[in-house]
Amino acid sequence: MFRIRKYFVLLGIFCLQSNYAQSTVETQLAWADKLFASNQYFDAITEYKRVLFFDEQNKLITRVNFRIAECYKAGAHFYEAIKYFALVEKNSLNDSILIEAKLEIIRCNILRKTTERALQLCSEIERDERFYSKRDEINYWRGWAFMFADDWESASKIFAETPANKELKLLCNQVIDAKVSVTFATVISYILPGAGQIYSGKILSGLMSFAWNLAAGYFTVNAFVANRAFDGIVIGELVWLRFYRGNIENAKTFALEKNLEVSNKALKFLQNEYRGLKP
Amino acid sequence: MILLISAAELYSQSGAQDDLFSPNNRLKFANHLYAEKDYLRAIGEYKEFLKSADNDTARFRFANSFLRIGRFDEAAQNFKILFIGSKLEEEAKLFYYQSLFFSKDFNAFQTNYDSRFNFPQKYSLTLDRLNSATYFLSKTNLPSGNVLIKPFDDSLQTKLIYYYLMMKNPPKKNSVTAALLSVAIPGAGKVYTGELTDGLIAFGATLLSGFLAVNNFQHDHNFRGWLFTGLTAFFYGGSIYGSAASAQIYNARLQFNLDSEIKLFFEERNYFLPKIDL
Repeated sequence: MFRIRKYFVLLGIFCLQSNYAQSTVETQLAWADKLFASNQYFDAITEYKRVLFFDEQNKLITRVNFRIAECYKAGAHFYEAIKYFALVEKNSLNDSILIEAKLEIIRCNILRKTTERALQLCSEIERDERFYSKRDEINYWRGWAFMFADDWESASKIFAETPANKELKLLCNQVIDAKVSVTFATVISYILPGAGQIYSGKILSGLMSFAWNLAAGYFTVNAFVANRAFDGIVIGELVWLRFYRGNIENAKTFALEKNLEVSNKALKFLQNEYRGLKP
Repeated sequence: MILLISAAELYSQSGAQDDLFSPNNRLKFANHLYAEKDYLRAIGEYKEFLKSADNDTARFRFANSFLRIGRFDEAAQNFKILFIGSKLEEEAKLFYYQSLFFSKDFNAFQTNYDSRFNFPQKYSLTLDRLNSATYFLSKTNLPSGNVLIKPFDDSLQTKLIYYYLMMKNPPKKNSVTAALLSVAIPGAGKVYTGELTDGLIAFGATLLSGFLAVNNFQHDHNFRGWLFTGLTAFFYGGSIYGSAASAQIYNARLQFNLDSEIKLFFEERNYFLPKIDL
């Protein structure tokens, strides 16, 4: 009887120790989660790392690594975020965690504008039969990758494949319509100086350019008509060509600026007003 | 038995926080962060640990974490604490100088070097090299060449002598000379500073516009004559000013290239610092 009681006591001590250690770590995890929830990412990472370090049974490794990665992502430390998401991927026990980590890596790549890598990862997941049900989501992120890479045409095509992404498709189309063609702006400036600027929305600059070219052209032609060839060459080279070349360069610059403005406006809308899932 | 388990549960709830934050556990965690090169977090943990205990390795790593993240003043202060009665005294002294060196406060380094006392023999050559590096990098108050290059291997001395001579007597171009040359022959100052094409263009442009000015005056085209006279004056003045500017640019480029080369020389060799894993 005494012996049995002794075993009970030993068992009790064993329970006390293991229960205590794990509970300590879990309490700390709850604290780390609290920091995470209150957006204190630096402190949250410290506490998650502490949990990871003291979690001798490695029970929490996947969950904690995921959280650390999320903290780094929130702080725009994408390199570290990807490192920890990759650890989650490596230690994942089931496909749902695996795909979640993979998608997060894609999202980090979109955010840090490593578009090629994001698209490559999308294709890799798409080829994996285990994730067949995730095709729509993969396409969704592929579309986002194109938007971040300023390739709105490709993004629109991708979003058109899924009816649920109609809003994003419409946005892409709006951007495409609002953008101007840099080549067209340059070409029409060759034909009619100032036209490229007016096409890019810079009306005053376009009119000024047209006026300068007209005046310089008049003086050049006038000089040649009056048999003042030297004057004609000097005015033509130093004045007219200067304005003519400037007009072409300006048309190109203004078209690029306009396109950048349109893209930035759309991205700002996505960042601040779009209600759907964002990278 | 029930009582025992209940007690365990209660104890685990109340003491949970404290245990992970015991000095010993803090130290373990700090060492883990340090090994992971997460120095900023390691600093926080070492700091808490050092409040309740003293440990030379912990103090050293605490200071070294500051050094690694570029907080040199705090690094130097903490290395200093290990100067007396510490088993890491020798390394601490070397790392203290490293803190001064990397803070780029070369004057403070040189003053400390000159008044050094009881510096470990083991690292004296490393310190001498660091001291020489401060002169090569700051280029001020240069001592004699022999003193500077003495701590380095023979294979490196030729290169260092070259740097030393370049620092001492840089082959600079004089901007007044360049301007005067261009006064005499337009563009000659630019040729003097190595800008041969620019010099020839300046010479050609001044000559051509001068010729056109004279030619137009001779043919009673007074307006064009004055126009090209103005242009000639512009090219001539521009050539003089441009030559002086070109000499200054030449000197700045020379200085920049030399600085970059010297910096790269020391960086590539990690400032001749020994690898110390602590």
